[in-house]
Amino acid sequence: MIVEAGHFALVLAFALALVQSVVPLAGARIGEMRLMAVGGPVALAGFALVGIAFAALTATYIQSDFSVANVWENSHSLKPMLYKVTGTWGNHEGSMLLWVLILTFFGALVAAFGRNLPATLRANVLAVQGWIGAAFLMFILTTSNPFARLDPAPFEGRDLNPILQDIGLAIHPPLLYLGYVGFSVCFSFAVAALIDGRVDAAWARWVRPWTLAAWMFLTGGIAMGSYWAYYELGWGGFWFWDPVENASFMPWLAGTALLHSAIVMEKRSALKIWTVLLAILTFSLSLLGTFLVRSGVLTSVHAFATDPTRGVFILAILVVFIGGSLSLFAWRAGSLTAGGIFHPISREGALVLNNLFLTTATATVLVGTLYPLVLEAVTGDKISVGAPFFNLTFGPLMLPLLVLIPFGPLLAWKRGDVYAAAQRLMAAFGGALLAMLVTWLVVDRVTVFAALGVGLAAWMVLGALTDLAQKSALGTAPLGVSMRRLAGLPRSVFGTALAHMGVGLTTLGIAATLAFQSEHITVMKPGDVADIDGRSLRFEGVAPVRGPNYTETRAQFVFAKDGRTLGEISSAKRLYTARQMPTTEAGILTLGLSQLYVSLGDATSNGGMVVRVWWKPLVTLIWLGGLVMMIGAAVSLTDRRLRVGAPSRKARTAVAAASQ
Amino acid sequence: MLFWIIAALLTLAASLAVIVPLASPRRRAVGERDHDIEVYKDQLKELERDAARGLIGAAEAEEARAEIGRRILKIASRDDGTKEALRKRSLVPVIATGAVLAVPLVSWGLYAAIGSPALPAQPLSARLGADPAKSSIEELVARAESHLASNPEDGRGWDVLAPVYLRTGRFADSVAAYRSSIRLEGETPARLSGLGEAIAGAAGGIVTAEARAAFAKAAELDTKDPKARFYLATADAQEGKLEDAATAWRKMLQDLPAESPWRGAARDAIAEAERRIAVARGEAQPGPTQDQIDAAAAMSDTDRAAMINSMVEGLDAKLRQNPQDPEGWIRLVRSYAALGRTDEAKDALGRGLQALDGSSEDGKRLLSLAASLGLALAQ
Repeated sequence: MIVEAGHFALVLAFALALVQSVVPLAGARIGEMRLMAVGGPVALAGFALVGIAFAALTATYIQSDFSVANVWENSHSLKPMLYKVTGTWGNHEGSMLLWVLILTFFGALVAAFGRNLPATLRANVLAVQGWIGAAFLMFILTTSNPFARLDPAPFEGRDLNPILQDIGLAIHPPLLYLGYVGFSVCFSFAVAALIDGRVDAAWARWVRPWTLAAWMFLTGGIAMGSYWAYYELGWGGFWFWDPVENASFMPWLAGTALLHSAIVMEKRSALKIWTVLLAILTFSLSLLGTFLVRSGVLTSVHAFATDPTRGVFILAILVVFIGGSLSLFAWRAGSLTAGGIFHPISREGALVLNNLFLTTATATVLVGTLYPLVLEAVTGDKISVGAPFFNLTFGPLMLPLLVLIPFGPLLAWKRGDVYAAAQRLMAAFGGALLAMLVTWLVVDRVTVFAALGVGLAAWMVLGALTDLAQKSALGTAPLGVSMRRLAGLPRSVFGTALAHMGVGLTTLGIAATLAFQSEHITVMKPGDVADIDGRSLRFEGVAPVRGPNYTETRAQFVFAKDGRTLGEISSAKRLYTARQMPTTEAGILTLGLSQLYVSLGDATSNGGMVVRVWWKPLVTLIWLGGLVMMIGAAVSLTDRRLRVGAPSRKARTAVAAASQ
Repeated sequence: MLFWIIAALLTLAASLAVIVPLASPRRRAVGERDHDIEVYKDQLKELERDAARGLIGAAEAEEARAEIGRRILKIASRDDGTKEALRKRSLVPVIATGAVLAVPLVSWGLYAAIGSPALPAQPLSARLGADPAKSSIEELVARAESHLASNPEDGRGWDVLAPVYLRTGRFADSVAAYRSSIRLEGETPARLSGLGEAIAGAAGGIVTAEARAAFAKAAELDTKDPKARFYLATADAQEGKLEDAATAWRKMLQDLPAESPWRGAARDAIAEAERRIAVARGEAQPGPTQDQIDAAAAMSDTDRAAMINSMVEGLDAKLRQNPQDPEGWIRLVRSYAALGRTDEAKDALGRGLQALDGSSEDGKRLLSLAASLGLALAQ
């Protein structure tokens, strides 16, 4: 009963999505309030129904109901409860259902909190959300139905891919999808504006919270995915320029550009057409990512089962939505009024520069990701475009952008003064120089790169702090006054500073790890001690351990310095019995911001084991920087200017409400 | 029944989401402009806050104020999107009716096509709790497995499950189960020889060194254990020590009680061993003679293929007349497989199993051969 109720709810959600696609749009065209008003309740009901379907699927996973083909293919009765739950979206069908759940969630949010939007805009936005929802629900129901049944039902499932049996599965996909799909709201706003043929500064403010939220989640999703790959794959790398990673990175770069161009639009009513295009492109890149990952074009842990009909279907969705929205853009962009002109040396000028760098970087990543695929499709040659390509293209593009980041917030709108901004940044520059010198003299005299990287990171972090210090008049006003001013600053100023600081911290983590990490590959027998940069790693021995659905050989190590124990590490080679699939469980010891990473290789004939050990200084900053960026976005989301009230018929009272 | 009630309630709720806004009294639209003006007013207030805080200079603030003011004026001069309001009003009831009907029609229509309303949910715990008397063998095994998963130290459970795995061909699981039962309940000849049989089964019928060790231990504990003795002799035969094997089987045949199921197997094994000994000595035998082999070596490839095919077909014809020949079936299946005639190999396998009875000792040998050749029984 519960399975079929979920299935029926999903079908019903599809029917509602069809209504949502047509009725509010028609209402907006005709100018009929009652038709437009259908959008809100239908979006809320659609979310509730997809929620029921998702809950039903989760329940079948928890109960190990193998009469559902999806559960049989991806679960096992002995799997720990957490992975039974997360296994719901650890497969193609379930993950698409999560995708649609989040899509309808955002639709419901627009319906619930969109009262400050003009009725036609709101109706159009909900209709476009309805199109996306209907397309993906149709995709699920026709090619990837999670509720397909088996009769008679088998008694044991085939288990979840062991690499996915990890806490990461509970966090990474939901965050990533919240990001990917969150940009669908920006897309819907852009298409709705194009349908209306009208876009102005107010539009930018209405879109802003959605962009911020999507960007925040996508940042978290990418950072979490990177950390997961780092500890699960056992290679100790944090970014592989793998096409699947690029697929999530491209919307992030474009979304970051959108985040900044929307500020210009909001403040200066400029860059309107460009911002609309960016909103379309960002979600298009999200869709492209979904296509690359789900169609089987790429083989990776994300691909799950591949089926050509699915690829064709997603490709069709891709063509219709990207092609359709870009055609609409080409057709209507001319009718949008262009924004004002502005001085190149100004806040808006700096933001345009940011957009230039970010979109070029996006294009580079896109070329590097798609070129091998296209080449293989056309000529059959397999080439791999890896780190060298991106280091040569993406790196030089990002470097000037990172150097310029601290200037942006210090420049005034309309007419900025670079000289004055540079003067204010003198302290930050001095600090960065000092950091560089110290790195070069004390830590590493050989690689200039290390010193430059650390200096750049210090420059960004100190630059962000300079902005806060300037705005609170720290140093020029009495401390009490500037503290009060600091507390009174708009939240968005803190958001900016935190996000830019986060970029600096991530840069520091990457620079330190790349420049200072040390790798040791040795054969160790129980009792052996390896020297790791002046500290010792003692191999205590191995023991077999039996987990709920796996067996593992676990090796124990003790990390010590001068006889003082710094910590214990266990690293394991695991075998998941149901799929007979081995995995490596790296042992990681976090000391401050740095980590010791121990990965087990094969056993040697003389009773030893190949042990790979990395010492990674400041490596955690790579992801902590991402976390700081997320916090920045969250703080910015609470800025009061994003809480514009709705006008009442007696608009005067609403003004008071808006200012709270 | 409960499902249909839920489906009906869900449909009702979804339909209400469409009907209620359509049926509610017409509200007068708040002017489109008001929303924009709301934003600009808020921007003005933000500007005042920034100016008061000194974040922006007086001159810049004045300029910005003028700019926002211009935006407000621009909005105010825009017409309020009501020009289309009177067009196509006649379409409204059509769209409304279509939307209200679409919800039940699309959902029930689509669900009728792809749903399985008659199939109940089958949570594993409920299935395991069902009456054992009505359960299939898979259900019983699953029940035992779930019991043992939570009580892995229940040696008697493993003891029961191990031979069931063996009989259903899950050799690897059987090995693990026998090992657990031996570890928990101790070594007995039956467990040890079962373990050996499972290991041999997993190895495709070959009595490996590991299996042999298990049988040897079983024979040590009980010199009369027929399974252990039979397989130890088989191991000899597989190593080419046919005389030893035949002797062992003969001795075993003498010791076996008259009603023992092993008598037939032992007799067949002796016959086969004697035949192979005879072949080795160059005496009469069903396989190709030395002359034929020599002749084949001298032939062209096509001729040789033709000769081999005619020999295989001759064997096939013979087995159709006299199917009670396990060695013949094994030879036939292997020959067809070696010639790449997979379909015929499968066909021969099917006929052989029918003739020999798949559950007999010979049938199992044939099956394990087929498994080692990668043949699956034709459906």
